[in-house]
Amino acid sequence: MSSAVPRDKAKVAAASIAAERRTPTVVLAAGLLAAAGFAVPWVVGSQLALTLMTQAVIHAILATSIGFMIRQNGLTSFGHAAFFGMAAYLMALNGKLDAMPAELAVLAAIAVPAAFAFFAGLIIVRLPALSFSMLTLAVAQSLYELMLRWRGLAGGDDGMAVRLPSRLFGIDIELFQAPSSMFVVSWCALVAVIAILTLVARSHFGVLTVAIRENEERARYVGYHTLVPRALVFALSAAVGGLAGVLFALYNAFVTPGALHWSLSGEALIMAVIGGPQAIWGPALGAVIFFVVKNAMGDLTEHWPAIIGAMLIVVTVLLPQGISGLLNRLNRLNRRSREAGKA
Amino acid sequence: MIDSKRATFLGLSAVAVSAVLATSAWAAKEPLKIGVPTSLTGPYSQLGDEVKRAVEFAVNEANAAGGVDGRKVEVRFLDTEAKPDLARQQAEKLALEGYNIMTATIASSEVLAIGPMLGRWNALYVATVTKANDITGKQCQPRLFRVNRPDYSDAAVIQPWLATRSEAKWAIVAADYAWGRGSGEGFRNAAAATGKTVVSENYPPLGSNDYAAFIQKVLDSGAQGMWVALAGRDAITFARQAKQFGLFDKVTTAGISFTTDGTVKVLGDVVKGINTIINYSATLDTPANRKFVSDWAKAYPGDSPTNFGGETYIGMQVIFQAVKKAGSVKPADVAKAMAGGTFETILGTQLMRKEDHQLVGPNYFGIVEAVNGTLRPAIKMTVPAQTATPGPDANCKL
Repeated sequence: MSSAVPRDKAKVAAASIAAERRTPTVVLAAGLLAAAGFAVPWVVGSQLALTLMTQAVIHAILATSIGFMIRQNGLTSFGHAAFFGMAAYLMALNGKLDAMPAELAVLAAIAVPAAFAFFAGLIIVRLPALSFSMLTLAVAQSLYELMLRWRGLAGGDDGMAVRLPSRLFGIDIELFQAPSSMFVVSWCALVAVIAILTLVARSHFGVLTVAIRENEERARYVGYHTLVPRALVFALSAAVGGLAGVLFALYNAFVTPGALHWSLSGEALIMAVIGGPQAIWGPALGAVIFFVVKNAMGDLTEHWPAIIGAMLIVVTVLLPQGISGLLNRLNRLNRRSREAGKA
Repeated sequence: MIDSKRATFLGLSAVAVSAVLATSAWAAKEPLKIGVPTSLTGPYSQLGDEVKRAVEFAVNEANAAGGVDGRKVEVRFLDTEAKPDLARQQAEKLALEGYNIMTATIASSEVLAIGPMLGRWNALYVATVTKANDITGKQCQPRLFRVNRPDYSDAAVIQPWLATRSEAKWAIVAADYAWGRGSGEGFRNAAAATGKTVVSENYPPLGSNDYAAFIQKVLDSGAQGMWVALAGRDAITFARQAKQFGLFDKVTTAGISFTTDGTVKVLGDVVKGINTIINYSATLDTPANRKFVSDWAKAYPGDSPTNFGGETYIGMQVIFQAVKKAGSVKPADVAKAMAGGTFETILGTQLMRKEDHQLVGPNYFGIVEAVNGTLRPAIKMTVPAQTATPGPDANCKL
């Protein structure tokens, strides 16, 4: 028993060292993917397709934030729209009240949800998974009700326009509102988020949080603090959700309580589950699939949610690792058969 | 006998030839593409269905007559669920797909969300059933028009009626968004101007299922009269629950969009005797309206146009005539033809004010009663256009 402790610690350390060696590969891949995004507006001529793709990418960032939480903490948030909507409303309210420069508001709209999640996390990540899910739902719904009722501040159900200055970070604001340029902005943000989260997941901190997820008691006995890392994962996830909310507010220049509603949290969670959160990029893939189905089927029938529902059932029953899990498995089989062929 | 057969044959051939000619002419000219982001599902789905039928009727009628300005009329509907954020997305989708002349959304909050984007999307929007003052007031837009009566017009009708009433204490129950809030404010002003007091104001959220708490508050307030601005499913749910509480027996009730052709059909005796503003009725006796109602009955046997259907048809008339006048389907050209123009509608010749893009039309007041054995809102008082649509909104700077 006494020898097990250092061995476990060594395992965590070894796993993270092995992963850190691959850092340049991740950065290079991210750079290439981001560059590819710049080509998209040239290839896709249709404004409509571009605006749908922009929305899909913004939602992909939100789905990625939920997926990261599930992957690192093993906790499912039913109220992640709270961070998304909080950020969007912070942008909108700052436009109305002129409290600070818009650039600072963008940073605050990411930092405030993160700080909120960190301090709330110190209390609620200790709870059983179900209680955690219910609490996130409750917090998000109370924010929703607050914005719905508070007409004087935020226009209630009618929503509020996001007033923005003509330049943001020295960039013409029109660029954040035209689908062709906003797609590139959102795409680069998504790629950066996935790259950073991948590096975090492979770092010592990332491996440690997975170890805590698997067996919190054991990690504590080995000598790790287990509370703060989990709260930090929650905060990081909230910051990513906030980033999605900022992009949403910039692009649409309009926000309603719908941005805080449980149905948005639910949609993002469905995207994450369909895509499979075990891969950091899985939820983003799920978001793209969700948007394609929604728009292709939405044109044919108003009952498109039934198709998404059926898909969700198929994925949860047949592909518990989601579509990314399936793709990884196929890739592994392919590699193995090739190696077998060589031998 | 032979002659009549020959006449029929000639008639049919003429129709066929003109149809062929029309089709070939359509090929030459850009079609008129109308986008309808409306409530196909959600609390306002009944209203969505009413406006959808009116748009389809107008489009079929126009195409059967050889199109508008020699152009085929195409239409596309997308569901907005009465949610402003979704309405904005769906309207964007329609506009970017080329259906950039849009109309017939149900909730005011949706139109207020769409309005500021019209320039960016290079689109035009004609409101046909949405009442918030801001649409042609504080938030008016160069590409935004309205053909129906705004909240302030309803207040101008309710005020003279209120002056004749003996009830001194009134309660308000209105939907908690732009329209209901505006309607409540209009009623409050009308009450103040006629020496009445408002003792209870209630704004339940759109799509509520339980009104018991609000009904209890009205009962407890000692109100003798009640103003209701709830529509669609909300109106039906509220009316049923109010009936169970005996509210309609204790207070005199008046409303807007509450007891409509559509809701009265569902509610029946529950809402008998309720006073109501009527923005349009199939029973209006003008030659143009008689023709519209009889053509409607041919297209939808056994049916007559509802208030929302009639108002939306007026919107379609204005769009068609503006396109013809402009000789173009470009939103900028159509907007130019629309502002300050006069239009032949089923309610007579009406002016689209260039100052605030509000169509100047009459308004009506009545009660839910049996007409020829069927319960429906029946007109008792007509308010002419000049009184019903007072001067341009000073808040609008175009």
